[in-house]
Amino acid sequence: MSGGFAQRAREALGNQQLHIALDRTTAQLVVRRAAGLASLEDADRVRDRARASKMQLLHTLADSLRAFEARLVENGARVHWAETAADANRIIVEIATKAGVRRVAKSKSMASEETHVNGAFERAGIGVVETDLGEYIVQLAGDRPSHIIMPIVHMTREQVGRVMAQRLAVPYSDDTQTLARYARAQLREEFLQADMGLTGANFGVVENGAICLVTNEGNARMVTTLPRVYVVLMGIEKLVPTMADLDRFLKLLARSATGQKLTAYTTLVRGPRRSGDDSGPDQMHVVLLDNGRSKILAGETAEILGCIRCGACLNACPVYRSVGGHAYGDVYPGPVGSIVTPGIRGLAPFAELPSASSLCGACREVCPVRLDIPRMLLALRHEAVEHTRQPAALRMGLKLFARVASRPRLYRAATAVVRRVLRSRARDGWIRRAPGMASGWTRFRDLKAPAAETFETAWRRRAAGRTS
Amino acid sequence: MSGARDAILGRVERAVRTGRIPSAPPHDRDEDGGTRADGDARRGAPDSARLQERFVLEARALGVETYVEPTAAAVCDRLRTLIAGLRVLAWNPDGLPYDCGSIVDGALLGSSPRADQARAEVGITACHGAIAETGSLALVAGPGCSPTVSLLPPFHVALVRPEDLHERFIDFVTARADALAQSSNCTFVTGPSRTADIELSLTIGVHGPGRVAIVIGP
Repeated sequence: MSGGFAQRAREALGNQQLHIALDRTTAQLVVRRAAGLASLEDADRVRDRARASKMQLLHTLADSLRAFEARLVENGARVHWAETAADANRIIVEIATKAGVRRVAKSKSMASEETHVNGAFERAGIGVVETDLGEYIVQLAGDRPSHIIMPIVHMTREQVGRVMAQRLAVPYSDDTQTLARYARAQLREEFLQADMGLTGANFGVVENGAICLVTNEGNARMVTTLPRVYVVLMGIEKLVPTMADLDRFLKLLARSATGQKLTAYTTLVRGPRRSGDDSGPDQMHVVLLDNGRSKILAGETAEILGCIRCGACLNACPVYRSVGGHAYGDVYPGPVGSIVTPGIRGLAPFAELPSASSLCGACREVCPVRLDIPRMLLALRHEAVEHTRQPAALRMGLKLFARVASRPRLYRAATAVVRRVLRSRARDGWIRRAPGMASGWTRFRDLKAPAAETFETAWRRRAAGRTS
Repeated sequence: MSGARDAILGRVERAVRTGRIPSAPPHDRDEDGGTRADGDARRGAPDSARLQERFVLEARALGVETYVEPTAAAVCDRLRTLIAGLRVLAWNPDGLPYDCGSIVDGALLGSSPRADQARAEVGITACHGAIAETGSLALVAGPGCSPTVSLLPPFHVALVRPEDLHERFIDFVTARADALAQSSNCTFVTGPSRTADIELSLTIGVHGPGRVAIVIGP
C-alpha cells in the first residue's frame, strides 16, 4: 500500500482503463439489483426480517457460536478457533501438513483474502490455486481483487486476454467465452489433483451446523466434493439462526449481488462424507475467525457485522464508482470496507477511509440488511478526530476561526475583506481559482462568488424597511 | 486451542454489553421461532399443475431445456435421444425413476475411478426435490447419488417426478428435513454453471455443466 487514500484515489481518477472497466460493470449491476429486488414479493418486509434476525443474532452471538460449534461436532467436523489472521493461517497450514497435503484448491473467500492464507501456504511449500474465474485471473496477474463479488471489475477483457496469453501460453483472445474455456481446462486438472479444498462460508446455520456456500461457476461444489480434506475459514459473525432465515438471506444475497433470484449453485455441507458415499472429503475442519470482529462488536460500528458481502453498496457508491476498489488500500473496498477495514486493521492507518464518502446514503438505501453505513462512517470520523492528531494547519486554522467568529466586530471586518478579495476574482459570478488556503476548494470545482451584500446587512435593511 | 475459544467467546460476551447493536423491532422477528416463511398467511397450497407450470417457466428462463412427457415410456425415449452417442455417468440405476435404470446399464457410476468420471460427456440424475419458485433442483448426496454426476460432465440431465415439486426452498427443506440431516451435502442447482466475472458478460459452463436438461414424467 503506497500513500494514503487521497493519493491512490487521485491516481485512480487518472486511469482511463479503470474507468472503462468500472463503467462497463457497476452501473449495470445497480440496474440488475433493482430489477432483482422488484421480483421479490414483499421485498421490504423480507429485508426488515433479515435485518432483525442478524441484529438479534449479534445480541446473542456467544450462545449462537456455542450452539453452532456443537452442531458442527455432531456433523463430524472439527472446530478450530483463531484469534488473529496469523493464528488462522497457522491452524490451516498445520491441518494441511498433518494430512500430507501438497495442493490446495480454493473457492472464493473474503476471509482468506483477509488473512492472506495463500502466502502462508506458499511459505510452507504447499501449492495453492484460486478457482473462482476472477480470483484465478487476479492470481495469474499477481494483482489484488478490487470488488467483493467481482474481483476483476477493474480489468477490461483485453487486459484479461493479455494476462492469460502470457501466463498460460494460450493464443490471445478478448472473447469472454474463449477466456472462460481456457480457465475451465486449466482448473479442471487442479480440482482433480487437489488434496485439500478451502472455502469461506456465505452462511453458517446455527440450528443444524450447515455451511452454506453459493457460487455461479460451481467451483465451491468442486472443492467440497473432490479433495480428501476440506477446510472452511469463516468469520464468527457469519451465522444465521435457522433455515427460514437462510432462505431469506439467499434470496436477498443473489438479488443484491447480481440480480439473480438464486445463485446457480447453493450448497449445504454438513460434515465429511458419510458411510456409503462415493465422494466428499474424509475430514472436514471449520476455522472460526475473530481477527478484530469481537472488537468491532464492542463499539459504535457493531452493526456492520450484519453485512452479508453482497457488494451492492460498492456498486451504488459514487466514490467507489470513480476510484475503484484498490484505492481503499485493503481487502474490503467501498462503503462497507471503510468501516470493516479500520475495525480489523485499526483506525490510525486507515483514518482517511471514513471520509471517502459524501454521506449521500446510497449505500444504506441498497443494503439488503439496511445497515446504517453513513451513521457508522460519521462515528468513525468522530473517533478519528478524537484519537488521531490532525494536521497542524487544520488545528490552527480552526482555532483562528473560532477566535474571529466569536468576536462580532472582528468577524464583520474579516468577512468584508474576504468578500472583497473573492469578488475581485470572480468572472460571471464564479471564481475559478481562489487564492491562498481557499485554492484547495477550486482545485476540483468552481466557487460561487459572494453576494454583493452580506446576509447580515440584508437582514438589517429589510428589518429597517418594515418598521418605517 | 481452547484458550483461543474461551478468549473469543469471552470477548464476544463482553462486547455485546458496550457495542451499539440496534435492537430488532419485535414485529420484525419471527413469531414462531423462525420456522414460518414470509407470506405464509396469505397463501394456500398451490395445486400440482400450477407448481409444475411455474417450475418449467422459471427453469426455462434460466436457460434449462425442459421436457414434459406423458408416460414413463416417453420419458425413457426422451432420455435415450438426449444421451445418444455420449459417454454416460449416472446415479445408481435403482435410484432413477420411470424404469430409466435399464437405459444407463453399464454407464460409469459415482463409484467409478475419478479419472473415468471426469471424461464422461453427460451425467444423469433424478432429484430429491424441485423448487418451483426458483426453477432449482435439490440433489442430496448419499449412497448411489454422487454429487460428481451432476458436476463433472458438461451436460446434466435430471429426471423429475411431479411429487418432487415444492413451491419454495423452505417447503422442501421442511418436508425433507430427515433426508437432509442424513446427508453431508445438499446442492440446489439453479440453471447451468455461469460467470460474469469478465466485464459482466455472461458466460455459460465455467466449472459445472454448461447444458442442463430436465425431463418431467407423469
